[in-house]
Amino acid sequence: MKKLMEIALGVVTSVGGFLEIGSIATAAQAGADFSFQLIWAILLGGLCIIFLVEQAGRFSAVSGRTIPDAIRERFGFNYFAFLYIVLALVSLLVLAAEIGGVCIALELATGIRFQWWTVPAAFLIWLVMWKGTFGVIEKGVSVLGLVTLCFVVGSVLIHPPWSQVVRGAVPSLPHHDSTHYWFVVVSILGATISPYLYFFYSSGAIEDEWKETHVGINRIIATGGMTFGSVISIGVLILAAMIFAPQGVKVEHYTQLPQLLVPVFGYWGYWLLVASVGIACLGASLEITLEIAYLTAQGFGWNWSENQRPKAEARFAAAYTLTIILAALVTVTGIDPLTITIFSMALTAATLPVSIVPFLFLMNDYSYVRVYQNSWFSNAVVIVIIGIAFVLALVSIPLQIFGGS
Amino acid sequence: MNLVRDCLDKQIDDRFKRRMGRVDGIVLEIEPGRPPRVAYVELGVKTLMNRVSSRLGNAIAHLLESRHIESAPYRIPWGKVHVGLNEVRADVEAEKTPALEWELWLRKKVIGRIPGA
Repeated sequence: MKKLMEIALGVVTSVGGFLEIGSIATAAQAGADFSFQLIWAILLGGLCIIFLVEQAGRFSAVSGRTIPDAIRERFGFNYFAFLYIVLALVSLLVLAAEIGGVCIALELATGIRFQWWTVPAAFLIWLVMWKGTFGVIEKGVSVLGLVTLCFVVGSVLIHPPWSQVVRGAVPSLPHHDSTHYWFVVVSILGATISPYLYFFYSSGAIEDEWKETHVGINRIIATGGMTFGSVISIGVLILAAMIFAPQGVKVEHYTQLPQLLVPVFGYWGYWLLVASVGIACLGASLEITLEIAYLTAQGFGWNWSENQRPKAEARFAAAYTLTIILAALVTVTGIDPLTITIFSMALTAATLPVSIVPFLFLMNDYSYVRVYQNSWFSNAVVIVIIGIAFVLALVSIPLQIFGGS
Repeated sequence: MNLVRDCLDKQIDDRFKRRMGRVDGIVLEIEPGRPPRVAYVELGVKTLMNRVSSRLGNAIAHLLESRHIESAPYRIPWGKVHVGLNEVRADVEAEKTPALEWELWLRKKVIGRIPGA
């Protein structure tokens, strides 16, 4: 029973990490512009992230180390410094988008422009970090995030043509706007295969004191959580395909999003959307902030744990405080959060190889994972993911320029 | 022992298993007619930056010194360093070494002054 609870909570927590403003925005854009045709991209991204998250969890449970820890040890400081600069910059931009998402939810709730909410939202995120423990952040916000299940319920209640939904799960070539089609594919993959997810998961395994005995549970949590998250993203896509696509509505601003749920749930649909976006973005903001602080502390060998008081780990506390300030500075400029989101998702896709290539080496290093090394199948999957990551890295910026609008 | 694999960049803990930092550099002493000898492990930003480029290392050292901050790395004699499987331990007390200077300064001057710290 205790194990079942642990698995259930783990799955819910993984969903909390999965669903954020990037996956909501890109799924809505995909549904609005290409109807059900891009469901396969969410499935492909979901499959990739299941493997990476499972491996990150297994690595930490067995070796007692996080992935950034091992990258510094195994690849040396120069590679780590490169990874750190790339990941920290991209994650800061993603964090700015998430804070923007919280602010948009508050704008939708109050009518006050989103920039004005930047400082209160950033302060709230900092306060949760300052006073909360890892458990509060990991489980509390994630359980609240279950409100996002309204997208799944809505997508069923709207009675989509299921044959077309199933057809969308099979990759197909675009019928129109091919550059934009591939740009949306890249954005979906960038939003789904987020480095912050597997790095955070790896640190979470250490915070939760996972041991070798958690290898099985980790597999179930990683698979269940990421699958569950993908289903919610597909729910968003189905709603956009059913509501936006027939009217030719393009998703150009977050204030259009309530229209996804209002036709299904009426008045309450508006508030469900506000709660979903607000809570999902708050959860993601906390996780990304922690991920940047973890990455910094682990890379330089500082003390780190969200379960300690800030005074006990002053550099770690300073790292997350500075992270929130820098990201909030981007949001407060008033740049449309949707623009930041789409840009940061493409940038994430462009930088994926840097964080994924080390998996192939670390997951086969006996001194870390001993008998829990990757099977030939897992290695083959990682090689395929690395291939996808390199293609994404090459095409994401040109597609951003030519197909981003 | 393979120094680079087993020691360099590894987390280094003090005798009470508190994290001190990472082994940022290893100093070898070379005397004529004798094999090279490991003298110290180093912890510090200058050592790290030197590994990226010596010009960057010098620039960082210059910047720190212009602000009256000690730029020389903290050296731990090899005799006080124990290298195990995926762990490095130093027979010192972290809080009494320069390795935690910034941590203690931040604790005292900034983080510790914020309510709830």
